[in-house]
Amino acid sequence: MSTATAQSSPGGPGPAGPDGPDGSRRRGAPPKVSDRARKLRPYLLSVPALVVVIGILYPFVLGAYYSILNYTASNPEPHVVWFANFASVLKDPQFWASVRVTAIFAVAATVIETVLGVVIALLLNRSSFVGKIFERVLILPLMIAPVIAATIWKLMFNPQFGVLNHVFGLGTFDWLSKDTALASSILVDVWIYTPFVAILVLAGIRSLPREPFEASDVDGAGWWYMFRRLMLPMMWPYILVAVIFRFMDCLKAFDHIFVLTAGGPGLATRTLQIGAYEDSIIFQNFSRGSTYMFLLWILVFITAKYLVGVLGKAQRRAAGAEE
Amino acid sequence: MGTLSLRGVRKTYGSTVAVDDMTIDVGDGEFFVILGPSGAGKTTTLKSIAGLVDIDGGQVSINGVDMTGVEPYHRNVAMAFESYALYPQKTVAQNLASPLRSGRSGSFSQDEQQKRIDAVTSTLGIHHLQQRLPRELSNGQRQRTALGRVLVRPADIYLLDEPLSHLDAKLRAQMRAELKQIAQSSSTTTIYVTHDYQEALALGDRIAILREGRFVQIGTPEEVWRTPVDTFVATSLGQPEMNLLPGAVRGGRIEFLGGAGSFPAPADLGLRDGQTVQLGIRPSELEIDRGHRPGGDRWLRLPGRVLLAERLGRQVELDVHVGDGQLIVVEDSDHAAPEGSEVTVQIDLADVHVFDGASTAADDGEARVHRAAPRLGSALGRHSAPMPEEAHQ
Amino acid sequence: MATELKPGQKRLTPGAIFADIAIVAWFVFALFPILWMLLLALKNDAQQTSTYFAFSPTLENFGTVLSQRGTDLTSVDFKSAILMSILNCGGAVLVSLLIGIPAAYAAGRYRFKGSEDLMFNMLSFRFAPELMVIVPLFVIYTQIGLFDTVFGMIWVLQLVTMPLIVWILRSYFEDMPEDLEQAALLDGYTRRKAFTMVALPLVRPGIAAAALLSFIFAWNNYVFPLILSDTAASTVTVAITKFLGGGGQAYYNLTAAAALIGALPPLVLALTIQRYLVQGLSFGAVKG
Repeated sequence: MSTATAQSSPGGPGPAGPDGPDGSRRRGAPPKVSDRARKLRPYLLSVPALVVVIGILYPFVLGAYYSILNYTASNPEPHVVWFANFASVLKDPQFWASVRVTAIFAVAATVIETVLGVVIALLLNRSSFVGKIFERVLILPLMIAPVIAATIWKLMFNPQFGVLNHVFGLGTFDWLSKDTALASSILVDVWIYTPFVAILVLAGIRSLPREPFEASDVDGAGWWYMFRRLMLPMMWPYILVAVIFRFMDCLKAFDHIFVLTAGGPGLATRTLQIGAYEDSIIFQNFSRGSTYMFLLWILVFITAKYLVGVLGKAQRRAAGAEE
Repeated sequence: MGTLSLRGVRKTYGSTVAVDDMTIDVGDGEFFVILGPSGAGKTTTLKSIAGLVDIDGGQVSINGVDMTGVEPYHRNVAMAFESYALYPQKTVAQNLASPLRSGRSGSFSQDEQQKRIDAVTSTLGIHHLQQRLPRELSNGQRQRTALGRVLVRPADIYLLDEPLSHLDAKLRAQMRAELKQIAQSSSTTTIYVTHDYQEALALGDRIAILREGRFVQIGTPEEVWRTPVDTFVATSLGQPEMNLLPGAVRGGRIEFLGGAGSFPAPADLGLRDGQTVQLGIRPSELEIDRGHRPGGDRWLRLPGRVLLAERLGRQVELDVHVGDGQLIVVEDSDHAAPEGSEVTVQIDLADVHVFDGASTAADDGEARVHRAAPRLGSALGRHSAPMPEEAHQ
Repeated sequence: MATELKPGQKRLTPGAIFADIAIVAWFVFALFPILWMLLLALKNDAQQTSTYFAFSPTLENFGTVLSQRGTDLTSVDFKSAILMSILNCGGAVLVSLLIGIPAAYAAGRYRFKGSEDLMFNMLSFRFAPELMVIVPLFVIYTQIGLFDTVFGMIWVLQLVTMPLIVWILRSYFEDMPEDLEQAALLDGYTRRKAFTMVALPLVRPGIAAAALLSFIFAWNNYVFPLILSDTAASTVTVAITKFLGGGGQAYYNLTAAAALIGALPPLVLALTIQRYLVQGLSFGAVKG
C-alpha cells in the first residue's frame, strides 16, 4: 500500500531539513499551550456574554439600590432611607390589592391553561383527521404579540359594537368593568397561552415510550386507569415545565392587561408590574417602583426555587416509572 | 514512525478514575494492542495519547519529546474513533482528504491526495463509495472509512479504537488479515484497542491487558497466552473461557473435581498441605483420549461422561461431567464423542495453570475482576513453562 | 401514523365524536379573534362600527395605515414603527448571535467553573420582572442619551434574545458528538478551524431556529419600547396600541389592519420553524 511506504522522514527532536515531497513534516519542539491558557479557553469564549450579563445585572443591582433611596424625578439627589420604602409599601392597601390581583390572575390563568392545555394535547394526540388539520394552527395565538392579541380582544369586548355582545346577545354587557375586568384579562391570557401548554405537553406525550401502554392494553386495562397510572406520572415533568413557565410569566404579567385596562378600573387589574409602572414611570417615583419590583422579584425567586425542586422530583419519579 | 512512552499517566473524571499509573514504552514501528473489557479505560488511554483529554498526572512522550501542553494538531498522530466521527456533510473522499489538506501532516498536491485516497480505499474495499456521504453507508463501510482516514496520512503514531468492531464476522477476519499485512509493510507505530482477544493475539507484537484503568500484564501474545499473570488475564483470552477449578493440596498432591483428578504438587511452588488453589485449563487444550498420546506422568487424565455436545463448525464444544464438576472441552469434530458417552479427557500438565486459591465462586464476573487470583505456575512447576517470565509486572 | 395505537384510541365511537367536537370548539375559540381582526381590517370607515359579518370588503385600510394619510389621521407613523422594529430586533438578534454562540459553545463543550452560574443568570433574565431592570435603565438612558435610540433598544432587547439563543444553542452543542471536532483536531486543524469546519455547519438549523424565535419574541415585546423609546425608536407593538389611545375619532378598522400587519411576521416565521418551537419555547427543557 502506497501510504505505508510514504512515511515521514525519521525524526527526533531537533530541526530537520525542509519538507520532503512525500509530506514529511517539520520537526522541532512542538509549540506548547500552558495549562493556564488551556483552562482559560472557555472563559475567553464567554467574556462577551459575561459583559452583557454584567451590563444587565448592573441596572438590576441599581434597581435594588433605588429601593432603599428616596429617589423621585422631583428629588434627583436622593439619600438612603433604608427600609422606609418597604415599610410604606407593605403598609399600603394598594400594594396588597396588587398582590391579590397578581395572585388571583397567576393561579387562575395557570390552572385553567394547564387543564385546557393537557386536554387539548390529549385530544390532538388521538391523531384524528380533524385534529391533524388543527394542529398546524395551534400556535397562532401564541405567536401574535400579546399586545396585539389584547388589542383585538379589546375591540371584541366593546360594549356598544363589540362582536361578543352581538353574537351572544348580551346587550351592552361591560366586559371590562370593575367586576369583570380581571376575569376578562384571564380569558385573554388563556386564549394566548393555552397553546403553549398544549404543544409542550403534546411533545411530551409523543416522546413517551410505547411499550408500557401496549402491555397494559394487552392486560385489558381501562383508559382511565392507563391515564392515571401510566400516562400522567410520565407526562408530569412536561406538564410541570409548562406550569413553571406559565406561573412565572403570570406573576409579572403586564403587556396584555395594560392594553386591556391599564390596571383599572380602579385597582381591579393592577398587577404588581402595572403598579410598579404607575409608580416609577407615570409618577416618576423610582424608589417606590423599584421597591414593588424588588418584592415581586423575591416572590418570583422563591416560587421558582420551589417549582424547580418539584420538577426535579417529578423527573426522577418519571424516570423510575419508565423502567 | 515514532516511539511512544507513557509514564504514570492518570486521568480522572470527577471521582471516577478512568486511567491510573499507566506506564509503557512502545518501540518504533511496533504494533501494540490494548485488550480490555468495555469501561476499562481503553478509549481514554488513546485520547490521552492524542491530547484530546487533558491528563491529570504523568507524562506522554512521542519520539522522546514531552507532549504535555501540546495541542492534538501538533502531535502528528492519527486516530480512528469507535464512533467513526466522520464529517456528515462530506463525502467519503472528502473525509479522507481532510487530513491531507490541513497542511499539518505534510503538503500534498491534488494528484498525490487522490492517489493516496485511491490506494487506501482500494485496500479497504470502499473504492466505489468515494462519492457517498456517511449517512448513505452501512456501519461496516463507515468504520472502514474511519480507518481509511487514518491510513491515508503519514503520522508518527496510529491510534485505532476498536476499528473492526462493527464489521460482520467474515469481513472482520478479512480486514484483520489486511491490517496485519499493512502493519507489517508499514513502519508506523500503532496502538490498537480492542475487546476481542482473537484480534489481539493475531495482530499484536505485544499485548497489554487493561483492567479498571491499569495494565495487568504486558507481553507478547505467546507470553500472555502461556503465562497469564492471574485469572483475569487467563479468562480474558480464549473462547470458551478457561475452566477454573477449585482444588486443594492433600498429601503432596493437588486434588480437584472431588478427587476425580489429582497430580503431584510441584515442589517449587511452595504449596503447603491443605492450601487451596485454582486450576486453569483451557478448553482448547483439553482433548479426548483415544490412545494417541504416550503414557506417563506428563499427561493428566480424567474420566467423565459427555453431557452435552454442541457443534461449532469444525469443532465441537463438549460439556463433560467429571467427578463433582464439569469441564468444557473443545475438540475437533472428527474426534468428538456423542452425548452420554463415557470418555477420558486429557491434558499436558504443562498446560495446566495453577492459581492461588480463591474463596468465591469463579462464575461471578464481578468477583473475578476484583479478586483475580495470581498465577503460581504450571502443574509442572514455576519454571516449567516454555516462556521466560520476565515480562511480568 | 394514522393507525398509531395510543391509549384510548378507538374510531367513530361516541367518545371519538365528542373528542372531535371538543377540538373544533377550542379552535373556534382560538381562531375567531384572528378572523375577526381580518374582517375588521377589511371594513371601510363607515361600516367599521355599524356592521358585524355582512359588509362590503375593501383593502384600502392596509394602504392607509402605511401611508402619510394614515399618519395624519391617527398621528401614528406606522411605517417608521415597522422599520424600527426590524432594526431593533434584527440588530438585537445579530448581537446575541455573535456573543451568544461562543458562550453557548463554551457552556456546551467545557465543564468549567462558573459555566452553570452564567447559564443560570441567563435563564433568570427570562424570568425576572422586566421593570426591575427598566426603571434604572430608564434613568440611565435619559442621562447618557440612549433613550429612544436604536442602540439603546438593541442593548435592552438582549434580555429577550440572549438567554433564548444561548440556552437553545447550548443544548445543540451538547448533543453534538465531541468526537467530530476531535477528529478534525487530529486531522491537523486548529480549534477555531475545527469549530467553523465541523461544529458550526452541524448546528446551523439550531442557529436558524434560535435566531428566528428570538426575533419573534423581540418583535412581540412591548414593555421595553414602551418605556425606553418615544417616537424615534418606537416599535410596531407600541404603535398599535396608540391607534386606540388618542382622542378624537377611533379608527378600529385601521387598528385591525395595523394589528394584522404587525402580527404577520411572527406568524410566518413561526410556521417555518414549527419543528423547533417546542425546544425553543421551553429553553431546551422539552425536546420537540
